[in-house]
Amino acid sequence: MKMLNQLIQNSVGAITISALSFSPIMVNAAENDLPSGREIIERVNARDEGESVARDLLMEMTDKRGKKRERDTKSFRKYFGDEKRTVIFYQSPKNIKGTAFLTYDYPDADRDDDQWLYLPASRKVRRISASDRGDYFLGTDFTYEDIKLESKIGINDYIQKTVGEETIDGHHCYVVESIPVNEETAKELGYGRVLARIDSEIWIVRKAEFWDRKDNPLKTIQNKNISQVQGIWTTHIIDVQNHKTGHHTSFTFSNINYQAKIADSVFTERALRRGL
Amino acid sequence: MNNSFFELMNMLNHKYPLYKMIMAFGISLFWQLSAVAEEPEIEVDEQYEDSRTLSDRISFSAFLNAEWAYGYSENRHQKMEVYLEPEVEIDLFSDIRLTGIARLRGDGYDRLEPGKPDQDEIWKPSRRLIIGDHTDIELRELYLEIPFGDNYLTLGKQQIVWGKADGLKVLDVVNPQDFREFILDDFDDSRIPLWTMNLEVPISAVLLQLLWIPDRTYHNTPDSGAVYEFTAPFIVPVAPPGVLVDLQDVERPDRFFADSDVGIRLTTFWKGWDLSANYFYHFDDRPVLFQSLSITPTGPFVTIEPRYQRSHMIGGTFSNVFGDLTLRGELGYFTDRYFITNSPTDADGVFASDELSYVLGFDWFGFEDSLVSFQFFQSWVTDDESGIVRNELDTTTTLLLRHDFMNETLVTEILWLQNINNGDGMVRPKLSYEINDSVKVWAGLDIFYGDREGLFGQFQNNDRFIVGFEWGL
Repeated sequence: MKMLNQLIQNSVGAITISALSFSPIMVNAAENDLPSGREIIERVNARDEGESVARDLLMEMTDKRGKKRERDTKSFRKYFGDEKRTVIFYQSPKNIKGTAFLTYDYPDADRDDDQWLYLPASRKVRRISASDRGDYFLGTDFTYEDIKLESKIGINDYIQKTVGEETIDGHHCYVVESIPVNEETAKELGYGRVLARIDSEIWIVRKAEFWDRKDNPLKTIQNKNISQVQGIWTTHIIDVQNHKTGHHTSFTFSNINYQAKIADSVFTERALRRGL
Repeated sequence: MNNSFFELMNMLNHKYPLYKMIMAFGISLFWQLSAVAEEPEIEVDEQYEDSRTLSDRISFSAFLNAEWAYGYSENRHQKMEVYLEPEVEIDLFSDIRLTGIARLRGDGYDRLEPGKPDQDEIWKPSRRLIIGDHTDIELRELYLEIPFGDNYLTLGKQQIVWGKADGLKVLDVVNPQDFREFILDDFDDSRIPLWTMNLEVPISAVLLQLLWIPDRTYHNTPDSGAVYEFTAPFIVPVAPPGVLVDLQDVERPDRFFADSDVGIRLTTFWKGWDLSANYFYHFDDRPVLFQSLSITPTGPFVTIEPRYQRSHMIGGTFSNVFGDLTLRGELGYFTDRYFITNSPTDADGVFASDELSYVLGFDWFGFEDSLVSFQFFQSWVTDDESGIVRNELDTTTTLLLRHDFMNETLVTEILWLQNINNGDGMVRPKLSYEINDSVKVWAGLDIFYGDREGLFGQFQNNDRFIVGFEWGL
C-alpha cells in the first residue's frame, strides 16, 4: 500500500524535465516559484514510512471484459539499516497459494537489487533478474520496480521537473514530470514519461500518469483512502488503469501495523519456502 | 577428495553408524536450542493470534485435476486420469502447524500401472491403498511444523527439494520419484514424500539443515507392460537369445535405524550468491541388478538379484544474477554407483564406480514477459570400464522458451530435452489458460524421438496429445 504508493511516488519522483508541452493541466504555472522536482521527490522520499510494516493486501485484477481475479496476500517490509527488505506471501486462491516474493533493495545505486520468487508448484526458490524491473508483477499492472520501490522513489532513474499545481480530491498537489535519464533506463522501466500529482502537505502521490517510450498513454495510478495509521500517512487503496490493455488492478491494504515485531527470518529464502 | 573423504566416512560409519551420529547431533541440537530459544519474534498481532477460533485455525482446500493423454503414435489412450487432492492445515498451539495432503486418483484406462502394482519399492507404512485396477488412495504428506526461536523442526511425511535444476536432477535425490509417466509428470506430483525428521537451524548467516529419513521407499518404476516401462539397455539388462532369466524379488533394506538415510545441508547468501553445500548418505533409489550365470541342462540361465546399495553424495549449488541473466548450477559426487556392463570378464553384470554429475543453467529475462532457459547437464562415470553400457560421459541439454500473455492468464511454452550422445530427445509444447481464479486448462504434446537405446528414444512410440484442467477449491 504505502509501499506501492511510494512506488508510484518513486516513479513520479524520478521526474524530470523535458518539455513543458507534455504537461497537460497546469494551474498557477509560475514554475519558478514552485519547489523543484527534485526537492519534492526528496520530500517524498524523506517521509516517515516506519521502520517496518505488516499488512494484508488484497489484489483485484479485472480485464477489459470484466473478468475478475483476486489474490489475498500478506506483506512485510523492514529496514536493515539503509537496506530495505520486502516480502509478499500469497494466501489464496488455491492455485497460487504459497507463492512468495522477496526483494532486497540496497542503498548503493550501483548495486543491483536481489530478488527471489518461490513457486509452490516447483517447490524451489528462484532468483529473479532485478533488471527486468519493467516486467509486470505476477499478472498485475504494477511492474516489479513498482512493487520493490514501495515507498522510495528511484530518484536517479529520472530527471524531474515541477510543471505546475493541481487540486486532487480537494488537496493541493504539485505536478512533477519525470523523464528517464536515458533510453536504457526508459527501456528497463518501461516508461517514457511520468506525470505525478504530489500532495504538498503530506508528500504522498495522489495520482500519477505513465506514458510508454513512444509517448502513448500507458497507465494511471490513483492513491485513495489516505489516512494516518499509528501516526504515519498511509494509502489504503491503489487503483491502476492500464490504458493499453484495458486491464485494471486494485490493491487494498488492511490490518496495517507499523509497530508489529517482524522477525528478520521472515525475509529469508527459508521463509519463502515455508510460508507464514 | 574421493578416497580420503569417503574412506573416512566409511570408517566412521563402521565404528559409529552415521545415522546415529546425525541423530545424536540433531537431538542434542534440538534440546539445546529448545532450552535457549527466546520468545519467538514472529510477526504481528498477538491479540489476533489469541482470539482465533477453532475454525480460524483450520483451513481446507483441494485440487481437482483431470488429464487425458492420447498416444497418437500407437493410436491408443494412455490415460484418463482424475484425482482429488484435499489439503488441511491446522494451527495448533504455540505456532505449531499440522499439514495433511491426500490424493484419491482414478484412471479409466489402467495402462500406466496395469493391474495392481506390488509396490515392492515402497516402505509399507508409505504404500498407497490400491482399490481395484483403476483407483488408489495415498497419504501424500502429513507433517508437523514446530518452530522454536528461529529454528524449525518438521516431523512427518514430506518433500525435501535440493538443487537448482529444472527437469533434470543432480542433488534433488532426497525423495525418490514415481516414474509411472517417465518424467512427464510435474515433479511435485511425481516426487514421493518420505517420513522424515527435518531440523533447520540458522547459525549466523548460515542455515543448517539436518535430515533423518527412516522411510525406506525408493523409485517407483513401471512394471512390465506399462506404457512407460523402461527398456533402454543401460537401465535394464538384455538377455542374449536363448538365455533364460530369473528375476528375483528385490532385496530391501529392512533395519529401521541402520538403513535409514541421513543428510546435511548448509545454505547461505554471500555477496549476491545463493550457495549450498550438501551431503547425503543414502541408498541409491535404483536397485542394482546383480546377475549370475549358471549352466543348466536346459541351457544357460541368468539369475538377477536386485539389491539397493548405499552411496555417499557430496555436492553443492549456486545461483546469482548478472543483468538479465540468472546463472544457477549444482554439482554432486556420488560414491558406489553401479552400471550395467557387457564385459565378458565381469562376474555380476554390473560395474561399480563413483559418478560426478553437474548442471549449469542460464535463465534469460531479456524479453518482456518471456523466459529463455538453457541447461547443460553432464554425468561422468569416473572409473574406466570398457564394457559399460551407458555413456561414460553422458551429456544432456534442455531449452525452455516461455511467454506470458494477457496478464499471465495465457502461457505458451516449449521445452526441448536433447541427449547429445545418443541423439535422442523429447519436445514438449504446451498452452495453458487460467479461466478464472480457480480453473486452469491446458493442452500440449509430448514428442519423443531418437534411438530406442536412449533414455528418451526408448519411448519413441509414446508420442501423445494431452489436455487437462485443474480446479482449485
